[in-house]
Amino acid sequence: MNPLLEQFLSESREFLQGIAEKLMQLEDTPDDSHLLVELFRLVHTLKGNSGLFEFPEMTRVLHAGEDLMDAVRDGRVAFSQQLADQLLDAMDFVSALCDQIEDGGKIEAELTVDSYRLSESLRALMASQQKQAEVNDQIEKVTQVSAEAVKLDLSKLPEPVRIEAYKRTMAGESFYWLIYTPIETCFFQGEDPFFTARQTPETLWGQITARESWPKLSDLDAYRCVLDYEILTSASHVELLEQYRYVPDQIQLIPVDPWSFVIPQGDPNGGAVYEDFVVDALQYLDAGDLDSLRPVAESMLQLSNPDLWLSSALRWLLLLIDTVPPNHQAITILIESLRSLNAPDWSLLTANSTEYKQPSTVSSAPVIAEQSIAEPEQINTTFIDSKELSEEDALALETIFAAQLQILQIDDQASWQFGRVKAAASVLLNCCKAIGDETAIASIEVAIEESLSSESSAPLLAWLNARQQKTSPVKPSESNAVSAELPLGLVSLEEQATTPEPEQITPEIISPELVSTEELPKFSRRPDDIASAKSLKVDQSKIDRLMNLIGEIVVSKNALPYLAQRAEEQFGVRELSREIKAQYAVINRIAEEMQDAIMQVRMMPVSFVFQRFPRLVRDISRKLGKEVHLVLEGEETEADKNIIESLADPLIHIVRNSLDHGLELPEVRRAAGKSATGTLTIKANQEGDQVIIEINDDGKGIDPEIIKHKAYEKNIIDEATLERITDREAVNLIFAAGFSTAEVVSDLSGRGVGMDVVRTAVEKVNGTIQLESEVGLGTKIRISLPLSMAVTKVMIIESDNQVFGLPMDHVVEIVRIPVSELISIKQSKTTVFRGKIVALKTLNSLLGLPTEPLVNSDNEVAVLIARIGNEVMGLIVDDFHETIDVIQKPLTGVLAGLGAYSGSALMGDGSVLMILNVRGIL
Amino acid sequence: MAIEYKKNQALFVDVISVDEAETFLDWLQNKPNAKIDLSRCNHLHPANLQVLLASKVAIAAWPKDANLKAWLETVLQPA
Repeated sequence: MNPLLEQFLSESREFLQGIAEKLMQLEDTPDDSHLLVELFRLVHTLKGNSGLFEFPEMTRVLHAGEDLMDAVRDGRVAFSQQLADQLLDAMDFVSALCDQIEDGGKIEAELTVDSYRLSESLRALMASQQKQAEVNDQIEKVTQVSAEAVKLDLSKLPEPVRIEAYKRTMAGESFYWLIYTPIETCFFQGEDPFFTARQTPETLWGQITARESWPKLSDLDAYRCVLDYEILTSASHVELLEQYRYVPDQIQLIPVDPWSFVIPQGDPNGGAVYEDFVVDALQYLDAGDLDSLRPVAESMLQLSNPDLWLSSALRWLLLLIDTVPPNHQAITILIESLRSLNAPDWSLLTANSTEYKQPSTVSSAPVIAEQSIAEPEQINTTFIDSKELSEEDALALETIFAAQLQILQIDDQASWQFGRVKAAASVLLNCCKAIGDETAIASIEVAIEESLSSESSAPLLAWLNARQQKTSPVKPSESNAVSAELPLGLVSLEEQATTPEPEQITPEIISPELVSTEELPKFSRRPDDIASAKSLKVDQSKIDRLMNLIGEIVVSKNALPYLAQRAEEQFGVRELSREIKAQYAVINRIAEEMQDAIMQVRMMPVSFVFQRFPRLVRDISRKLGKEVHLVLEGEETEADKNIIESLADPLIHIVRNSLDHGLELPEVRRAAGKSATGTLTIKANQEGDQVIIEINDDGKGIDPEIIKHKAYEKNIIDEATLERITDREAVNLIFAAGFSTAEVVSDLSGRGVGMDVVRTAVEKVNGTIQLESEVGLGTKIRISLPLSMAVTKVMIIESDNQVFGLPMDHVVEIVRIPVSELISIKQSKTTVFRGKIVALKTLNSLLGLPTEPLVNSDNEVAVLIARIGNEVMGLIVDDFHETIDVIQKPLTGVLAGLGAYSGSALMGDGSVLMILNVRGIL
Repeated sequence: MAIEYKKNQALFVDVISVDEAETFLDWLQNKPNAKIDLSRCNHLHPANLQVLLASKVAIAAWPKDANLKAWLETVLQPA
């Protein structure tokens, strides 16, 4: 993937996020013109960027979005929820396209149609809100134009081309007449319509036409496109859309009726003087004697000048005769046309005979049945050389058989009964012939004989029933599905009977009703699935390397004071010592600033996580039918990138839980005397070197009793704990693994992993999580996280002549306690400190060091009061030293297994400081 | 490649791009009796085609490319 595209993708994600945000803000304040302008600008820029690449699908949707936003901005269209929904949907689609580009570097062709529909629905929204009358006018105009265009005049095609096309249609291919009308300014968009037209797949014939007569050369504007292209192609609808994916609005696709190929042309040679031939030919035809008709036509053709109209008509006649099976009605029409030398009027052709030219055409079965009564012998034209049935054909066959069954079961008027039986019989017989089922033909002939002689439908019915049992019955819905899947133009009998409906791909013809939201594919994705934005344009490993390097500078810089000390004490050069110290001060300042700067690079605002919540809350609350007002505070609070990223998942879980379990339905809230709209507040702020995130809801809260019992049921706590546990502790049980109060697992919550995962994720980055809840009033979850994981502030403590580091997060205070105040309870020591009993432990014994802790001259021991989770305890050490910032390195190799230490750090004098893991040693 | 202008004849070679149209138009205006040799042409941008059509200039040789020839014949009348 080239860097430009990479950047485009990452920027697009940002834009999409921005668009979604603005849209949701607009839902609250639809009149904010400033927001509207912002939103328009975002969509506009994104569209512009997408134009740099070959992604017409994306550009098209964005362009429609841009137009829509433009209309909203100008006040032509009012901003509405529906509009926001559509735009969000469109943006989801674009985001999906981005994913696809990222994965494969290109967009799948089938999305062209989706993108087209989506953009149309956006435009429809614009249209539907504008003056309805105006739109109606427009639609009417377009339909009129297209209705005229439908009367395809293919006479300009050379006869051999038409003959070829006709033959291929009879062999089962379908043709489109494609009219490509490039816009006049298309040359300036770098397009070459001629090339596009030449590249049209399966082109049988093509033509260029000029829209207007040519001016004098001196007045000619060569760069104004005035050439149209007309193409006869047998390519599929999808292939054509793919070829014209950039310009779907400039092409018109018309399915070609095979009869429009059959046009005799030529010199009339003095007018209609072929009455004799016509009479003879019709006689042969009435007698069904095509074998006699053929030689007559052939000899007539030989005698005539090939340029004559007559000869052309005769060539067609021979072709029609040789078509298997021949369509008598069509032949009649063609012969009749010789009387007047006017083009045969194929509109006289009854619907069924036209229809039957199309293999695999299934319409409603009863209609077929009626027609087969009229012309039973024509039924086998439905199947042309189709011994092997395709799935569609098989289904069609079943539908036909089912229809015959229905017909035979009708028992109303006896006088019609005979004809009905006969018609059904011939349908069945022809069907069997068409599929080449010899055994069936034999058995059905017997059944027909019986039915006709007894004048009852019973024997035929019996045969049909027997057959039906062998094959699974066809449900009507299935047959409908088939007709829906059929290629365009073959769908409905009535349509085919008149003139084929053109597939006009212009925005106006797709009326707003057609593109209503229900019918559109949804591109909506769960907002939390969206890949995290890669707003960090520098590779993170590079920043990490910088971080490591600055760490080393800090360490080596810290060696300078030692050097100064040595210069003075060991070598007695005070002067030099002072200079070294002065230099050290400068380096120290720069190094600290540098460290701060690099930390800043790694810092990200929590809005990175928060920004997805408006959409998440909006979608989930809609789904649950709840009314939720989301309040975000302190989005600008910054923390290390790793910390922020680790926050994302836990927060989503918590927000979902609040929405699903916490906040009540509007009616419940009203009944409880609260406002119908619940409030969910997510607040971030910085406290010292901690980031505090609070999630508050004013929902129903958590009932500690229920939690206790659930926890007991699930063996998370034992009976003794159940008795003495406080309410506050009880509600925090929801963080235990395997805990879930939901009776039913929904797609939102209830799997019992959520809060456990939350806790684990928070603890992984040395954070803590607490929950407070009051029944009926709401729940408050408080997460505190370190600002940065890179630099740890540690206090240096000394014990048994060794120094250790202890993270300041755990240090509550350091005190000296007189030995007399230490109280021994059994083996353990305690003391009363600030009115509370604090358990004491000696660091030496915890680390397995045999020496007793030192006592100073005042007979006091040094006690470090540490907080571990929610508990406070005292650690007896020998002495305290300063606190320093260290860059902690994890222990590797065999040392990695030592639970007592969380890592090591380098001191300024080059010695190694081991950092204690308080949780690990207690 | 491009259009090669001879004394009274323009030779279309390979693919004629959109940029050629302007020069071609200018050239044609000064040579009302010019002839065009398309025999070595594979494709021409429609802007050039429009100039050809408007000028009703005589075609000395049709493209060897059968597909292009078929397309052009539908709109350019053989001389």
